[in-house]
Amino acid sequence: MSDAPASRGRGRPGGRLGDRPERPIEREGARLARLLAAPAWAMLLAVFLVPILGALWLSFRNETLGSFSPPRFVGWENYAGSLADPRFWESIRTTLLLLGLGLLVQMPLGVGLALLLHRRLRGTALFRTALIVPMLLTPVAVGLMWRFMLDTDLGIVNWALGELGAPEPNWLGSRWGAVWAVTVVDTWQSAPFVMLVTLAALAGLPPGPQEAAAVDGARPWQVFAFVTFPALLPALLVLLLIRVIDGLKMFDLLFILTQRGGPGTATQTLGMLIYNTGFGFFQTSRAAALGVLMVLLVLPAWLLWRRAERAS
Amino acid sequence: MTRPRLLLAASLAALATGAGAESISLYLIPSPSSSAIQSFIPAFTEATGIEVVVTETPYGEAHQKLLLSVQMGQGQYDVAQFDNTFLAPFGAAGVMRPLDDYIAASPDYDIADFSQGQQDYGKWGGQTLGLTLSTEPMIQWYRTDIYDQLGLEPATTWEEFRANAAAVEASGLGDGVILGWGREATWWWMPLVWSFGGQLYDETFEPQVNSPEAVAATEYFKDMLQYGPEGGLTANGDDVTIKFVSGDIGAMIQYSGYWGSTLDPATNPNLGNIGTARMPVGPVDVTHLAGWNIGIPADAPEPDAAWRFLEFVLGRSNAVAYLESGAAAIGRTSITGNADLLATNPYLPLLSIPATSRIERYPQIRTWPEVEKAILDVMPAILTGEVEVQAGLDALNETLRPILAQERAP
Repeated sequence: MSDAPASRGRGRPGGRLGDRPERPIEREGARLARLLAAPAWAMLLAVFLVPILGALWLSFRNETLGSFSPPRFVGWENYAGSLADPRFWESIRTTLLLLGLGLLVQMPLGVGLALLLHRRLRGTALFRTALIVPMLLTPVAVGLMWRFMLDTDLGIVNWALGELGAPEPNWLGSRWGAVWAVTVVDTWQSAPFVMLVTLAALAGLPPGPQEAAAVDGARPWQVFAFVTFPALLPALLVLLLIRVIDGLKMFDLLFILTQRGGPGTATQTLGMLIYNTGFGFFQTSRAAALGVLMVLLVLPAWLLWRRAERAS
Repeated sequence: MTRPRLLLAASLAALATGAGAESISLYLIPSPSSSAIQSFIPAFTEATGIEVVVTETPYGEAHQKLLLSVQMGQGQYDVAQFDNTFLAPFGAAGVMRPLDDYIAASPDYDIADFSQGQQDYGKWGGQTLGLTLSTEPMIQWYRTDIYDQLGLEPATTWEEFRANAAAVEASGLGDGVILGWGREATWWWMPLVWSFGGQLYDETFEPQVNSPEAVAATEYFKDMLQYGPEGGLTANGDDVTIKFVSGDIGAMIQYSGYWGSTLDPATNPNLGNIGTARMPVGPVDVTHLAGWNIGIPADAPEPDAAWRFLEFVLGRSNAVAYLESGAAAIGRTSITGNADLLATNPYLPLLSIPATSRIERYPQIRTWPEVEKAILDVMPAILTGEVEVQAGLDALNETLRPILAQERAP
C-alpha cells in the first residue's frame, strides 16, 4: 500500500497545492513566508495570548494591590465569589438591558436611514456626511459633550424641552433617565455604522430581482419585505453580532456620561464592574475572574459572528 | 525671583555640594497644586543643579498607576502627589516612604508651624507618609448679596442652615442651597453623619451606618434636596462649585480648596459676592478635613534629592510664594494668620481649625474605595425616595459588613 496520498500536504501549507508535487523553489517561498510572518505572530502572542494567560493565572490567586495577605493560589474562590455576588448579576442584567434597548433602536434606525439614502434623493450626499460625523468622534468626547448637554440645570436638552413646555427630566439622576440617556447617545454614535454597512450591502445587491418584482406589480414594501430584506439578511446578521459584541464591552461612554455606571449602579455594566473591582477596589484577582467570565459571555456571540461571516 | 526664594536657593546650593543626584522625577496629578509645584522647578534646578522631570497623570488612574509602579519596584518616581483618601491603602501596601526623620531634621519645613491635627494629616500607622500639599476643610460658602438682601447671617448650626435655605428659596431670589447629592455624595454625607453624632464603623470595624444618628443625618441630607437646583441630584464635586458660582444659589457646603477656581470672572458672574464661614455644626462639632498629600515613594531612586525638592517648595520660607502661585492653601499658622493674604484669600482663617472641633479625615482604612462605592451605590435610591432612609441604610450596613471585616486581617 502506498502512503503517498496520506502524507501529501499533512499539516503544512505547502502541501495544499494539490496533486502537483511541491518544487524546491515553492518550499523555499513557503519557508520565507513563515519567517517573514514570525515577528507578527510573536507580536500577536505577546499582545493577546500572554495577557489572557496572565489574567487566567491571576484569577486563581488572591492578589490585591492593597496587599492584605500574601498572594496564594485560591482555586475557584474568585469565580464562586463573583457568581455569589449580587453586583455581578445586577451588572449582567444592566449589560443586557442596555444592549437590548440599543439594538432595538439602532438596527431599525440604521437600516431605515440606509434605505432612505439608497434612493439617492436630493441632498443625500450632505445628509450622509452629516450622519457619519458622530461615528468619527471618540466615545470619551461624545460622553463629555452629551453629559453637559443633558445637565438638568445648564444643559441645552432640558432648555429646549422647557421652551417647548415639555417636562425636563433629570436624565442622569434617575435609573431610567440614565438608561435612556445612554441608549440615545450610543444610538447617536452607532446608528451611522449600521447605516453605512447596510448601505454597502444594498449597493452590492443585484438590481434584477427588485426590478422583476416591481414589474410583476409588487408594492415597494413588498419588494423590501420579500426581496431586499432576505437578500440583506446575511449582512444584517453579521452587523447584529458586531453590535452585540460592541454593546457587551461598552465602557468608555459609560465611564464619562454616567460617571462610571451611575447613578448608583443603574448603568454599571459588567465591564464597568470589572474596572471598579480592579482599579477602584484594587482587587486584581477578583477583577481577572470577572474578566474571564465576561469572555465566556461574549464568546457565543463571537463564534456566531465568525460562522455568519464565513457563511456570507 | 522673590527674596525668600533667593535666600533659600542660596542655602540649598550650599547644601547641594557633593550631592549625587542629577535629576529627580515628579509624579503629579493635574490640579492647581501641581501647577504651583511646577512653577518652582526652574528655581530649584538653578539652586541645586538637579534637573526635574514631571509626569502628570489624571486623577482617575493616578493612584492605581503609582501603586502598580511601586509594587513592581520600577523606581520611576522620586516625589509623588496623592489624595489623602489613598493614604491607608498606600500605607498598607508600603507605597510611600516614612518622612518623619526628614521632617525632624528640617528647620525650614518647620512642622511646628502646623497645628497638631494638621501635623497628623499625612500620618498612617503612626508614620508620616505624606506632607500636607493642601489644607481643605469643608466650609460654608454663601452669596453675600442674597444674604444681605434677606438679612440672613451665615449659619452656625444645621438647623439655621436649613432655615436660611428655606428663606432664600421662598424669596424667589434663587435656590436655597447646593450640596453634592450625586457622584461624590460621600463628601457631604460623611460630615453630616459625624456632625449628627454618628460614625461609619466602630473600633472593631462593625458598620454603624444605620444608627439613629446616621439615619437623622441622611434624612437631613435628603431633605435639603428640596432647596437645591433640579440638577443637584447628579452634581459631583466640581459641578457643585460650577452651579454655585454660575447660578443664583444662596449657599453651598464645599471644600475650601475650590476657592482658586472661583476667581475667574469669565466663569463666575458672582465674583465679589461670595462669602465663607465655618461649616455649620450639629450635636458634635466636627471639621471634615481633606486635601492633597505629597511624599516620596518607597522605591524612589533619589530620596534625599526628593526631600530637598519638597523642602524647597513646601518649606516655610516659600509658603507665601507657594500660595501666590495659585495653589490651594496649606494650613500653616504663619499663613492662616497672615493679614496681608486675606484680601485675596478671605477664607484663610477657616483653615485654622479650633481645638474644640474634632478633625475628621476620610476614613483611614484600606478598604475605603470599596466602602465608598457601596455608599454611593445606595445613595441615589435613598435620595430619590426609591427606598426609605432606614431600609436603605440597613441594607448598606449589611453590604459593608463583609467589606469592613477585611480590615481585621493583619
